[in-house]
Amino acid sequence: MMTPTPVVETRGLVKRYGDHLALAGIDLRVGPGEIYGLVGPNGAGKTTTMKILATLLAPTAGEAYVTGIPVDADPIEVRRRIGYMPDFYGVYDDLKVWEYLDFFARCYAVPANRRVTMIGELLSIVGLEDKRSDYVEALSRGMRQRLCLAHTLVHDPALLILDEPASGLDPRARVEMREILRELRRMGKTVLVSSHILPELAEMCTGVAIIDRGRLLRSGSIHEIEQSLRATALLRIEILGDETARTAAADWLRTDSRVGDVLEAAADPGGIIRLEVAFDGDTDAQADVLRTMIEAGHRVVGFSQATSDLEEIFLKVTGQTDEEAAA
Amino acid sequence: MTATSATYGGVRRSPLREFGSSVVTIMVKELRSRMRGRRAFIVLTVYLAILALITYGVYAIIAPAARGGGFGGGIGTGQANASALIGQSIFTTLSIFQLILVCFIAPAFTSGQISMEREKQTLDLLISTPMRPGAIVIGKLAAALAFVVLMIVAAIPISAIVLMYGGASVDDIVRQQLVLLATALALGALGLFFSALLKRTQTATVLTYISLLALTLGTTMIFIFWSVVMNQNDANPGFGRQDRAPEQLMYLNPGVAMLDVVANTEPGGFGAISSVLAQLRGEEFNFGGGMQCNGNVCVPVDQFGNVVEAGAAGSGYWWPRISLTFVGLAVLLTLASMRLVVPAGMRWAFRRPRRGVVSPTPGVTVDTAAEGTPTIEEVRSEPPPAEEPER
Repeated sequence: MMTPTPVVETRGLVKRYGDHLALAGIDLRVGPGEIYGLVGPNGAGKTTTMKILATLLAPTAGEAYVTGIPVDADPIEVRRRIGYMPDFYGVYDDLKVWEYLDFFARCYAVPANRRVTMIGELLSIVGLEDKRSDYVEALSRGMRQRLCLAHTLVHDPALLILDEPASGLDPRARVEMREILRELRRMGKTVLVSSHILPELAEMCTGVAIIDRGRLLRSGSIHEIEQSLRATALLRIEILGDETARTAAADWLRTDSRVGDVLEAAADPGGIIRLEVAFDGDTDAQADVLRTMIEAGHRVVGFSQATSDLEEIFLKVTGQTDEEAAA
Repeated sequence: MTATSATYGGVRRSPLREFGSSVVTIMVKELRSRMRGRRAFIVLTVYLAILALITYGVYAIIAPAARGGGFGGGIGTGQANASALIGQSIFTTLSIFQLILVCFIAPAFTSGQISMEREKQTLDLLISTPMRPGAIVIGKLAAALAFVVLMIVAAIPISAIVLMYGGASVDDIVRQQLVLLATALALGALGLFFSALLKRTQTATVLTYISLLALTLGTTMIFIFWSVVMNQNDANPGFGRQDRAPEQLMYLNPGVAMLDVVANTEPGGFGAISSVLAQLRGEEFNFGGGMQCNGNVCVPVDQFGNVVEAGAAGSGYWWPRISLTFVGLAVLLTLASMRLVVPAGMRWAFRRPRRGVVSPTPGVTVDTAAEGTPTIEEVRSEPPPAEEPER
């Protein structure tokens, strides 16, 4: 299988501020076209990682590459390929919206003949077309955030690095920001986005890395993370039948070595029995169980994995380190 | 590997042109916000109005006196010189006043330029663009100076009034302009330096003006005290050649430069200002002397009535040296600002980039990375322009 050059790749990234270890060896790999989420509580090292990739910080050790270019060897070249939106930033409020974007387009040496059309396109992506000639000063916080996002796109970068793009926004502005990220995804941009709230990212990210205290706890798709977290997944199985069918099904399930506890709920009047089964296996194994179960003559009408809240997962992951640290 | 030649966003140009266009970018942005609205025009109008008023005031005071009708039976040496005296007085006052205004205005325009970006958290966005910090600093300095230069140049017609009266020539006005521009450059760079050095605009402004005081009053006072200390054991104080502090100290004083320019317009090239300047150079005291006239020919003399060579103490010694010192100072301060504008932890980013560092991702992916390169192109939403040959 041919592996394309990852847009972002870090290996053993370490950043030390004096005695404080901000990053303790982070390995990331983001392929082209991915929307990759960095999740972790405040102070986990998300911003540090992003600043290193944005060539605003030098790593203490380890390597970081953007489109295959080492960030510490050719930062100027890397800068041409990334659009960076910091977590805290200001805007030049004495400029008009189009002048603001024009300024950054010039900073990235975008030729004059492309600037005008591009500014129009960017404003429509972020939904600020009608604010073109307004002063930046007059924009609301959400609008400024979107304007800052637009500025990261002026030079059509390969990678967008967005540090907490939704922080401090009201729910409506958050939804708008999410819509814009979806739009970017449709445009095929690679995006590295951070948040301290996992569910916020879950629905739009192709991959997620959970970071806590400078360590990479989990990485992969949301689904993979869920899988790895639930060493034992909880299956909800619904079977048509009466008490005997229930006992038979429960006994049958218990013969499988991958099955742990089987919780039998009382049959409800409709004749459907619900079983909750602790199951140690991935979706493949689950499919196998379902198939053999039906072949064994059980009348399965429902078979699903109980999804627990993402927030729960997140707390579970970051909580584990507390236990590890305590141990 | 085509990775280096793939152009992201902008067109790749020679480093010099890229630097130049970055400077222009910053200038355009700064001037857009600075020249917007009425403020800039009001400042300019008020500045010119003050200068015009001063000109009129000097004329109103000097003219009657010069024509011999005023107090003390007239200070002019006769009707023929009256016009020249008026011109010279106006030129002297205007030059010194303009210098004072420039000294206050130039640093005010620059002392917030970088610290303000820090305070408003816009510097990170600026630094994370591919522009070189040098271009950012020079663009900011140029934008601030553009307005100061506009003020200085706009006042030329007022100075040119003296050409009507005589007493100062076009040469004098050119010199006056050169001194003003050099002063604006140096003090602008000084403000920018403190702005880059310090986090807060307030401290930067205060320190800039303290430095301004040190350059003007400070150098003068140190010079005087130094000279006095050196002459403590002089057997004949006030007579003969005096020991003095190194004159290089005064190379930092914009006031001396302007006095030197003004001294050139003094009648016969020798007068009170010339005499002060001569002292700075260790020439002999001349307060008791002045001009000794024999018919039409006037020659400068010292307090004993001996003729002093006009050339020796004439003007033109200080201002070129001071202007050059200022230009040099501006260059040094700008270079320092370039280093300071980048946060200490980030200086690494602006070391000269090593050529040809773009390499396939080493390690595990090394075998696949070569084929992987086209993905860089895929990410782009538009076809790359014709590749420029790599130097």
